[in-house]
Amino acid sequence: MISQALFTRFSLGARVLIISLCVVAILVPAANLLLPPEHFAHVPSHLLPLWGKYLCYAMLALALDLVWGYCGILSLGHGAFFALGGYACGMYLMRQIGPRGVYADPVLPDFMVFLNWQELPWFWQGFDQFWFAMLMVVAVPGLLAFVFGWFAFRSRVTGVYLSIITQALTYALLLAFFRNDMGFGGNNGLTDFKDILGFSLQADTTRASLFAASALLLALVFVVCQFIVSSKLGKLMQAVNHAESRVRFTGYRVEHIKLFAFVVSAMIAGIAGALYVPQVGIINPGEFAPANSIEVVIWTAVGGRGTLLGPIIGALLVNGGKSYFTAAFPEVWLFALGALFVAVTLFLPHGLMGLFKQICTRFNKRSATAAKVTPLMKPEAAE
Amino acid sequence: MITRLLQIAATTLWLLVALSYQTTIAAPANASTSELRQHINALATGKIKDKPRRIEALAQLGSNKAIAALNALIEGRLYSDKASTQVFMKHGDHFVDPLSLTAVNTTSKLKKVKANNKVRRIARAAIARLTLKSPNSEQRLQAVEVMFKAADHKLLPLIDEALEFEKEQEVKQKLLEIRAAITLQNKHASKEAQLEAIGQLRQMGSQQALGKLQAFINNSGASAAALKAADLAIKAIEKSQAIWGVFQNIWYGLSLGSVLLLAAIGLAITFGVMGIINMAHGEMVMLGAYTTFVVQEVIRTSFPGLFEYSLLIALPLAFLVAGAVGFAMERSIIRFLYGRPLETLLATWGVSLVLQQAIRSIFGPTNKEVGNPEWMSGAFELGGLMLTYNRLWILAFSLIVFAGILLVLNRSHFGLQMRAVTQNRRMAASMGIKTPWVDAFTFALGSGIAGIAGVALSQIANVSPNLGQSYIIDSFMVVVFGGVGNLWGTLVGAMSLGVANKFLEPYAGAVLAKILTLVVIILFIQKKPRGLFAQKGRAVEA
Amino acid sequence: MSRFSKIISATAFAALISSSMLAGSAIASDTIKVGVLHSLSGTMAISETTLKDAMLMLIEEQNKKGGVLGKQLEPVVVDPASDWPLFAEKAKELLAVHKVSAVFGNWTSVSRKSVLPVFEELNGILFYPVQYEGEESQRNVFYTGAAPNQQAIPAVDYLLENEEVERWVLAGTDYVYPRTTNKILAAYLKAKGVSEEDIMINYTPFGHSDWQTIVSDIKAFGSAGKKTAVVSTINGDANVPFYKELGNQGISAEDIPVVAFSVGEEELAGLDTEPLVGHLAAWNYFQSVDTPANAQFIKTWRGFVKDEGRVTNDPMEAHYIGFNMWVKAVEKAGTTDQDAVIDALIGVSVPNLSGGYSTMMPNHHITKPVLIGEIQADGQFEIVDETDGLVAGDAWSDFLPDSAQLISDWRKPLSCGNFNVSSKTCGGTEGK
Repeated sequence: MISQALFTRFSLGARVLIISLCVVAILVPAANLLLPPEHFAHVPSHLLPLWGKYLCYAMLALALDLVWGYCGILSLGHGAFFALGGYACGMYLMRQIGPRGVYADPVLPDFMVFLNWQELPWFWQGFDQFWFAMLMVVAVPGLLAFVFGWFAFRSRVTGVYLSIITQALTYALLLAFFRNDMGFGGNNGLTDFKDILGFSLQADTTRASLFAASALLLALVFVVCQFIVSSKLGKLMQAVNHAESRVRFTGYRVEHIKLFAFVVSAMIAGIAGALYVPQVGIINPGEFAPANSIEVVIWTAVGGRGTLLGPIIGALLVNGGKSYFTAAFPEVWLFALGALFVAVTLFLPHGLMGLFKQICTRFNKRSATAAKVTPLMKPEAAE
Repeated sequence: MITRLLQIAATTLWLLVALSYQTTIAAPANASTSELRQHINALATGKIKDKPRRIEALAQLGSNKAIAALNALIEGRLYSDKASTQVFMKHGDHFVDPLSLTAVNTTSKLKKVKANNKVRRIARAAIARLTLKSPNSEQRLQAVEVMFKAADHKLLPLIDEALEFEKEQEVKQKLLEIRAAITLQNKHASKEAQLEAIGQLRQMGSQQALGKLQAFINNSGASAAALKAADLAIKAIEKSQAIWGVFQNIWYGLSLGSVLLLAAIGLAITFGVMGIINMAHGEMVMLGAYTTFVVQEVIRTSFPGLFEYSLLIALPLAFLVAGAVGFAMERSIIRFLYGRPLETLLATWGVSLVLQQAIRSIFGPTNKEVGNPEWMSGAFELGGLMLTYNRLWILAFSLIVFAGILLVLNRSHFGLQMRAVTQNRRMAASMGIKTPWVDAFTFALGSGIAGIAGVALSQIANVSPNLGQSYIIDSFMVVVFGGVGNLWGTLVGAMSLGVANKFLEPYAGAVLAKILTLVVIILFIQKKPRGLFAQKGRAVEA
Repeated sequence: MSRFSKIISATAFAALISSSMLAGSAIASDTIKVGVLHSLSGTMAISETTLKDAMLMLIEEQNKKGGVLGKQLEPVVVDPASDWPLFAEKAKELLAVHKVSAVFGNWTSVSRKSVLPVFEELNGILFYPVQYEGEESQRNVFYTGAAPNQQAIPAVDYLLENEEVERWVLAGTDYVYPRTTNKILAAYLKAKGVSEEDIMINYTPFGHSDWQTIVSDIKAFGSAGKKTAVVSTINGDANVPFYKELGNQGISAEDIPVVAFSVGEEELAGLDTEPLVGHLAAWNYFQSVDTPANAQFIKTWRGFVKDEGRVTNDPMEAHYIGFNMWVKAVEKAGTTDQDAVIDALIGVSVPNLSGGYSTMMPNHHITKPVLIGEIQADGQFEIVDETDGLVAGDAWSDFLPDSAQLISDWRKPLSCGNFNVSSKTCGGTEGK
C-alpha cells in the first residue's frame, strides 16, 4: 500500500531522488569499505563525512523550504534550530568521552573542569543516554519554534518583520552560546568527540554508517515532507502562502497552520544538525551566525523554492561548489558566490527547478498544448 | 585633551626657554652649565632602571634649563652620540644642543635615548617641580595637576613656597589640595590638620580625591575621628558620583544611540521607505569609511596642512561614492526585484559579499588607519561628567544628518516625489513623476547617507572589510523597532536602544545586556508588530 | 510536468549527485607539498592573510636555496573562510587529497581544536604559530607561538617590578584564551600577595565596539590610590575601539598602563598610536628587534609583498621558526615521512630573529625569549625589557590546579601529551 502511495503521490523526480538516495546510502559506503584503495570506484574515507555534511545541509534546506516555499514564512534563523539539534547531539557525544578527556574527569567535560565547575549543570543531565539526547534533538528546536512561533504568528508578525526577528533570535542565541558561563563550551563549543553508541567516530565503518544514515534520513524526511505538502494541511499551507487573509476569512486558524509548519521544520532542522555534528566533529556558536542562516535561504533559492527537490539540489550544488572554489580559487571564490546569488535572484527567480521546467516546456511546446501547465509555484509570497 | 595640553605645554616651553626667561625665575645660581651638561649627558647612559635616579639628580640642580631636555626625553626626541657621549635633541628634522638650543651638525650615528613609562612619569614630575614657579599660569596649572598624582611629603616645602607666591585662584586651590593629600600621607600629622585635609578633599569631590581618602583609610593608624571623617567624606563623594553616574550612563547611551542612528538612518530610507531589504547596507557604510581613509592618505602625502579638514572633505566624497554604488546597484539589480522584498535580500547579500571581497582585494584585509583630527580627540569634564569630543561630535553629527534628511523628505521637491511614489506608485506615475528615476535616486540617497555614516564611524571603529557586517543586524533592529517607514521612529528607536543597553550593561555585563536588548526587541515586535511608530493608513496593508 | 521534462530533470539530478561526488582527486608529482591553512576571507582574514603571504615567501626563499632533499617545495593554499568546521574539512583535504608533508596554519583556538582530530587521524604535522592558552599537547601539533608562561607571566613580572603595580584589571574577550590566561594570572598574582579585591576581571564579546562604560570603570578602579595596570587579552577587532576610547578618555600609559597579548604591529597599523605611547605589549618578537637576521627578514618580506610600509609581527616569526625547524628536521630524517619527522623535530634548534636559537622541546613547544615593548608614536614597539634567557613553553600551567600535575613528553618511552605525575598514567588521548 505504501509503495502504491509512493507511486501515486510522487512525481518521477521525487521517485528518482528517493531511489537514488537509497542506492547512494548503500553503494557509497560499500565503495568505501569493500573496494581496495587502488580501485577506480573506491571512495576515499575523507570524502564520506564531507558528502554526509552536504546531505545534512540538504536536509536543512528542505526544512527551510517547508516554511518558506510552502508557507511563505521566510525564516532567517533556521541555523539556530540546526545548531540546537547539533548541540543536543554534541552533548551526548561529550558525555561519551567519559574519563578519556585530557583532565581524565569521569563525568565533567574538559572545558568544565577547566572552568572549575564542580558538578554537571542540570541541563546536561540525561545526555549520557542516547535516546534522551535524540529526543532533545527534536524537542529543543521544536519547543523553541513552538514558543517563538506561537507568539509571533498569534500577533500576526509577517513578512519582513518576521524575517528580521528570526534573525534577531539566532543572533541572540549566538551571543548567548559564546558566553563561557552558559556551560556549552563558549567559543570553542563542543569538540574532541570519541565515539557514538560505542563505535569510534574515526573508524571508517562508523563514518560509512553515519553517511548511510544521513542519506536514508534525508530520503525519509523527503517522504514525510511530500506527505505533508500533498495532504489537506499542506494545501492549506500553500493557501496561506498565496492569500493569508483569504484563508483566515474562510474560517481557518492561520496561526495554527503556520505554527505546525514552523515546528515541523524546526524539528527537521534539529535532526539535520544532529547528523551534522558527529560527521564534522565540532559544534560551536559560529553555527548560530545569521550569515549561515542566510546561506541556507540561498541554497533553497538556487535550487528553487516551493518544490521539495529544489532545496536539495541547491544545497548540494552550492556546497559542492564552495568546497571546490575555496580550494581552487581561494582569493576569488567570494566573488563567484556573490555573483551566483545575484544571478539566481535576477535570472532564475524559480531557481534551477524553474529553469528545468522552462527548458522542458519549450521542448514540449508542440506536444503539450493540451495539458495546460500549472505554475510550479507562485512567485510571490503575500505580504 | 591631555595630548593637546601637552603639545601646548611643549611649545610654550620651547618658547620660554628660547627666550631665556630663566633670569626672571629664581634658579639656584650654583648650577653651572658644565654640571648641567654632564647630568644631561648622563641621561643617555646606563640601563633604563638607572634613569629615574639620573633624572632626580638633574632636577636637583633646580635649573629650568633642564626642562627642554626632560621634555625631549618624554617625547622620545633625545638622542645620544655613542662615541662622544654627547646628547642632542631632535627638533623637526635637525638636531640641537640641549642647553644652547643652537643647531648642531653631527655626522655620527645617533641613537634614541630609551624611556619607559616610569621614566616619563618621573621626568614629568621633575618638570612639574621646575615649572611650579613659572610665570605662565597654564604651565603652573599643569605642574600642579601632575604633582597631585605624585603627591609626596618631600614636596611640602616646595608647595608651601609656591602657595605664598601664587595669585591664580585655580592653581592655588590645586596647591591646597596637594597639600591636603600630602598631609593625609603623613602619619604624624596632627588630628586637626588631618581633619582639615579631609574636608579639603571632600570639597574636591573627584575620583582622585576618593583615591587619596581610600589610601588614607587603608593605611590606618589614624585617630578614630579622622577615620570617621574620611569615611563620611568618601560616602559623600560616592553619593554625588552615583548621581553623576546616572547622567554619565545616559550620555553613554545617547552616544551609543547616535552610532546606531547613523548606522541605521540610511537603512531607514532604503528599507523603511522603499521596502528593500538591503543587506549591502553595511558595505555602503564601509565604503564611506574607506573613502575617508583614501582622502586622508591623499592629504597625508600631498597636502599635509589640510589634515584637520580631512573629514569635512571626506563627507561629500563618501556621499558620492556610496551614492554612486547605490545608484548602480538599483539600476542594475534592484529595479528588477520591486515587489519581491524577500528576494532583494538575497541579491543584496550577494552584492555585499562581492563588495567586501573587492575592498579586500584592493586595500588588503588588514585594518586601515584613519586618524582623528585634533578637534575630535580628547575629552572634557562637565561637572562630574566626562565627555569625549569624538562622541560629542558624532552625536551632533547624527542629529544634523537626521534633520537634513527630514528636510529633504518633507520640504524639497524630490522629497515630495519620493513620498508620492512610496504612497501610491501608480498615481504618482500618472501625475508625470518618473518613478524609476525617483526609485534610483532614493536608493542612492539612502546609500549615500550610509556612506556619510561611514565617515563618522571610521572615527571610532575598525576600518576593515568586515566593518559593515558588524552594524547590519543592529541597523535592522533599530529600523524595525522604531517602525518601518518612520524616521522619527528610527531616531527614538536608536536612542532608546542605546540608553537601555548602557543601563543594563553595569548589571548584566556587555554580552548579557546585548542579548537582553535583543530579546526585548523580539518581545516588543510581538506586542506591536509594526514597531514603535507604526505607519497608519491603507498604504500599510498594500 | 510533461513526461519528457520529468526524464530530463531526473537524469540531470542523478548526474548532479554522481558528479558532485567525484570532485577532488589526488595528483602525484615530484615536489614536496606544504599546506597553508589560513583564512583568506571572513572575520579572521584580517590577521591570517599576512601569515599566508609569509608562508609563501618562506617557501619561495627555501626553493631559491634549492628546496628540501633536492626537491622543490610546492605550497598548497586553501581558504577555510574563518568557518571552524570548514577548517577540519580543508585540513582533511590537504592531508588526504593533496598529501601535504606538513601544514602551517590556524589562528584561533577553536579552529585548532577543530582540526586536531583530523591531524591525529591522518597523522599529519601542524605548525601552529599563534600565542595561545596552553592546556594542550598533541603528538601531531607543534606550537611555535607562546604559551602563557612565555608571554603573560613575564609581562606581569615586568609590571610588578618596574611599575610597582598593585591593582590589576584583567580585561579580555570571552573565549578560552583570555579565560585561561586570566585564570593563570589571577592565581599567579594571588601567590604574589595581591588581594582578591585588587583584581577586576572583565569579559566582553567578540568585536565589542562600545567601550565607554568599561573604560570608565577601569578609570574608576584605577583611581583608588594604588598603582593600577590593565592586562588585556582583548582579541583582534575589538582592540581598535578600545584603544581609541582609552586615548579619548585621557587614560595615559603613565597613569594606567595597558599590557596586551594580542596587539602587535599589524593591529597597530590600523591605529593612530600617538595617544597610546607607552602602552605595552609582550611578545617573543618585535619588528624593532635590532639584529641582522631581522633586518634581512624585513627586507625580504617587503620585497615579497612589494610594499615598503608592511610590518612584520610575532606570528610571522613563529612561522619563520617553525618552517626552518621543519626543513631541518626533514633533512635530519632524510625523508618527509610524518612519523620520522615528528620524532626528528624534537631537539631541533634554529636561529630566531631576535638573535638567539629556538629549540623544539619534547612537549612540542619551543624556547623563546620574552620581550616587553612599549608602543611608539610611529606604530612600532620599543623594547623596554627582555627576559635574561630563553623561556621554554609550558603546555600545562603550574598555576591551575587540574593541570599542575600534568606533563608532556613526546619522546619514547613516555610518548604522552598529558602524563599525570601523581597517578603515573597517561590520561585522555593515548600515545601511539
